[in-house]
Amino acid sequence: MSNLVKFQIYRFNPDVDKKPYMQDYSIELNDEDNMLLDGLMRLKEQDDTLTMRKSCREGVCGSDSMNINGKNGLACITKIADLEQPIVLRPMPGLPVIRDLVVDMTQFFDAYNSVKPYLINDNPLPEAERLQSPEDRAKLDGMYECILCGACTTSCPSFWWNPDKFVGPAGLMQANRFIMDSRDQATEERLENLEDPYRLYRCHNIMNCVEVCPKKLNPNAAIANIKDLKIERAKENDSSDSTKPAKKIFGITIG
Amino acid sequence: MVIQLLTRKYPGMRLWLSQRLTALVMAAYIIGILILLAITQPSGHAAWHGFFAPIWFRIATLVFFVCLFMHAWLGVADVLKDYVFNKTLRAYMQIGVDLLLVLYLFWLSFILWNM
Repeated sequence: MSNLVKFQIYRFNPDVDKKPYMQDYSIELNDEDNMLLDGLMRLKEQDDTLTMRKSCREGVCGSDSMNINGKNGLACITKIADLEQPIVLRPMPGLPVIRDLVVDMTQFFDAYNSVKPYLINDNPLPEAERLQSPEDRAKLDGMYECILCGACTTSCPSFWWNPDKFVGPAGLMQANRFIMDSRDQATEERLENLEDPYRLYRCHNIMNCVEVCPKKLNPNAAIANIKDLKIERAKENDSSDSTKPAKKIFGITIG
Repeated sequence: MVIQLLTRKYPGMRLWLSQRLTALVMAAYIIGILILLAITQPSGHAAWHGFFAPIWFRIATLVFFVCLFMHAWLGVADVLKDYVFNKTLRAYMQIGVDLLLVLYLFWLSFILWNM
């Protein structure tokens, strides 16, 4: 049985090409070449100028995220049999292309780093580890699994328009991951860090992030949780603060 | 109370929350007016005139439209933030929308109080 697979792949080498173009490929795959990454590696044997990232080849490292038939995903865990042909491959949208399917993820990681994605706890280090109850640990489920492939953030139009200001779904989910961590002591600071009208509030809930996440995570729920938490915190602060200064709402003094 | 989230201390939250609060007011009015319409079933000019005659109903209608205009203002501001990067152009476009909404508000008030 013929195992011919057709591809249409975005090609761009800034040293040589004036502008990007789509290149057609047809390749006979072996029976064991089930995944898209297998096909790409066969193609690379045929044309070694084709450039992409890959590493673990099992959906853990997030290196080979790309736009597959119009939808972001990981080549290594996408079955060729599930794809319409020709398989159209492009780099992830919204980030500068370095070459072919490789994008410059600096903006993505800048946004990620801006939420301080690490535990902040000023207490002296315990001898062994900072303990957590199973219930508190369970609150991190659905967030800690993120592999930072960038599929969600680069499929978000809000990130396309404001990549320098909007944190993006991946970064915001990590912000929520540390906000929800019982061992973290910087919740107020983290919420404050997301208060400007761009960093969190550019999310308009179109849920592309949920649609494309290869790990089946839900960044949109994490973003909603941050907003809910802000409201909860405001209620708590208000009930504990008996000496409230006068406030202004759209210029009108209240309280 | 959540009201402190509408202060300048929360520049992002107050816009987001205002949009939702105005939506709640609009939803309440729409449900109310649908119930009233189902009960009274006005037909013809005189009946509609009578429907809007009570002062409390005109005030409620005005509140509904003020919320609608605020909701629209917030929505347009959001869209402009997303797509218009030139700050001067964005400010002019926002002013244009502001003027239009104020004009609508005067027009609406004129309609409600000159029936």
